[in-house]
Amino acid sequence: MKLFFRRVFSVAAKEYKHILRDPFTLVVALVLPLVFVGMFGFVIDLDYKHMRLYVRDNDQTSVSRRFLQEVSSSGYFDQTPLHSPSLADAALQKNNTPAVLIIKPGFGRHVKTGDPSSPGRLQLLTDGTDNVQASIIQIYMRGIVEATTALFAGEDAPAASSRIRTRFLFNPELSSRWFIVPALSTVIIGLLAIMLTALTVAKEWENGSMELLLSTPVRPAEIILGKLIPYFLLSLFDVLVVFVLALTVFRIPFEGSFLLYMAACAIYVTGALALGLVISVVTRQQQAAIQFAFAVGLLPSFIFSGFIFPIENMPLFFQYFTALFPQRWFLLISRTLFLSDAGLAPLAPAFWGIGLFAVGMITLAVFKFKTDVEP
Amino acid sequence: MKTEPNVIEVENLTVAFGDFKAVDGISFYVKRGEIFGFLGANGAGKTTTIRCICGLLNPTSGTVLVDGKDVSSHTAVLKPRIGYMSQKFTLYPDLTVRENLLFAGSLYGLRRKDIKPRAEELMRFIGLSQHLNEPVKLLSGGVKQMVALAATLLHNPDLIFLDEPTAGTSPITRADFWRLIRTLAQNGKTVFVTTHYMDEAEYCGRIVLMERGRIIATGTPEELKKQFFPVPPVELVFTQPRQASVREDLQRLNLGTAENFSGGLRVRVTDMEGFKAYAQTREGVFTYRPVAPTLEDVFLKAVSGRNAQ
Repeated sequence: MKLFFRRVFSVAAKEYKHILRDPFTLVVALVLPLVFVGMFGFVIDLDYKHMRLYVRDNDQTSVSRRFLQEVSSSGYFDQTPLHSPSLADAALQKNNTPAVLIIKPGFGRHVKTGDPSSPGRLQLLTDGTDNVQASIIQIYMRGIVEATTALFAGEDAPAASSRIRTRFLFNPELSSRWFIVPALSTVIIGLLAIMLTALTVAKEWENGSMELLLSTPVRPAEIILGKLIPYFLLSLFDVLVVFVLALTVFRIPFEGSFLLYMAACAIYVTGALALGLVISVVTRQQQAAIQFAFAVGLLPSFIFSGFIFPIENMPLFFQYFTALFPQRWFLLISRTLFLSDAGLAPLAPAFWGIGLFAVGMITLAVFKFKTDVEP
Repeated sequence: MKTEPNVIEVENLTVAFGDFKAVDGISFYVKRGEIFGFLGANGAGKTTTIRCICGLLNPTSGTVLVDGKDVSSHTAVLKPRIGYMSQKFTLYPDLTVRENLLFAGSLYGLRRKDIKPRAEELMRFIGLSQHLNEPVKLLSGGVKQMVALAATLLHNPDLIFLDEPTAGTSPITRADFWRLIRTLAQNGKTVFVTTHYMDEAEYCGRIVLMERGRIIATGTPEELKKQFFPVPPVELVFTQPRQASVREDLQRLNLGTAENFSGGLRVRVTDMEGFKAYAQTREGVFTYRPVAPTLEDVFLKAVSGRNAQ
């Protein structure tokens, strides 16, 4: 056992020296997280704001003017007056116009009297080619109409009493950045960890040093653990970098337990590093390994983690299928701990998910490790 | 002469990669404390055989015993006793000589404080103490090979495998290497060395000649020379301007094969009586004298003999 640790330690020490002397690894580990967080964090913005809206007000009452003021101050729309109703179609056919709003005569009267029998006096034309945007415009517009109606109807209006009042907990501003950045840490940390180790075993094969390793009494488990340790520490450093960026640059709140978050990161990173080693052990070629690592690191993070496509909307088979990917579990942990002060209990299944993956990958790396040099 | 036990015994070893048989049913043994030469052209199966003995490759069939123990089931016991220097350079170019040696030693479970004096001793033995703190990638080819040898010897193995240790190095490095190999053997180590330089094989106690996965000859250099050259080769020097017809005559009369040699021909005579008779008919054209055969002669004859079959 003493020998075991001595050999694990010497492999780790050797790997540590490789890291220090190899600019590529250092760049991947230290610069890439900054680039990724910056790129994804600023570019991916699912909030729709300042959408162009063509407006034609045929009512021209104090109510309709007040309504348009509300539309402006909501911040969602930038208004452009439409001088002729016939221009509405032309405006929509231009690709940069998501919606046209036409206020018909009688709108003001309808709002003031609150007469439910009189027909709607607002027409909203939306560009359905981007259906997500179109439905968001609809929702926003309905909200503004409701608010304006309430303004004129007064507190005692019957419509107001039956309205649903929605309060968003944990992310009261429904800021998509709050939602995205914790998820991003999943993608970035996972991808980095896989890339860091994916080259290490393949490099030994290409360099010829694998023959040296295999001719000595060193065992696969010792090599695998020895290689994990330095990259584990490096990855934890990356975790902290991403964490600090999230809190300072993107001003994401962190409500949960920091220790719990770090524990989850440690387990998740171990699994990703071990997956990198499995790739390296199997491919035995650096070029193939890095391509594999990129695909395996990136695709499930986006597709099966719930980052972009909500898992609840997937067919049942795929809902279970996503359980195989640690990204899904870590994403859940990350979002939960950033935005709520949940404890371990509700996250237990997710911890099992990343834990089993890590153990499974280490085992696979050790057993897939070839102890002979057969081509 | 006292008989030493066989430290390596190889029986009917075959290694196949798909349809290709890299090693095809070879058997041989190595005695403790000898310099055992494994000779053959590139691709003859030398490296494959060594890898099997070191436990780096599993035989397709046949057995490899080291000290009577089967290699594939006793790797853990045998690996610490084996020092293997691969044909390919296997150290880490970005680490210094000292770091490489410390790492290699630690894999054998040696302690840092034990490796340090041993590494320094070895570098003195090899004569490269001044390079200890240099990154390996900055060293010249010959020095690299020497460092690889030091890494192989660090854990004091009693079975040393050197796969083409002198390939691509200067004559001076080659001489140094063989000086070290002899010293190792004098200290009781068994040295198993492969080479395709036939002149180096003269230093070996016993040799095996391999060609295309098979053993074509085995014995001490002297035995092999006697076996293949009951009739010694002849050096033939022309006294008149060179006559091409001599070479053709020898071939036509089936007296032997000839190769150009400075100022004359070197003839591997097959029929000495016939050659003498022929020489008399050409008196005044050339003179000749029998010479000692070299291992190169042996190898060429062994290979041509096999190809004729």
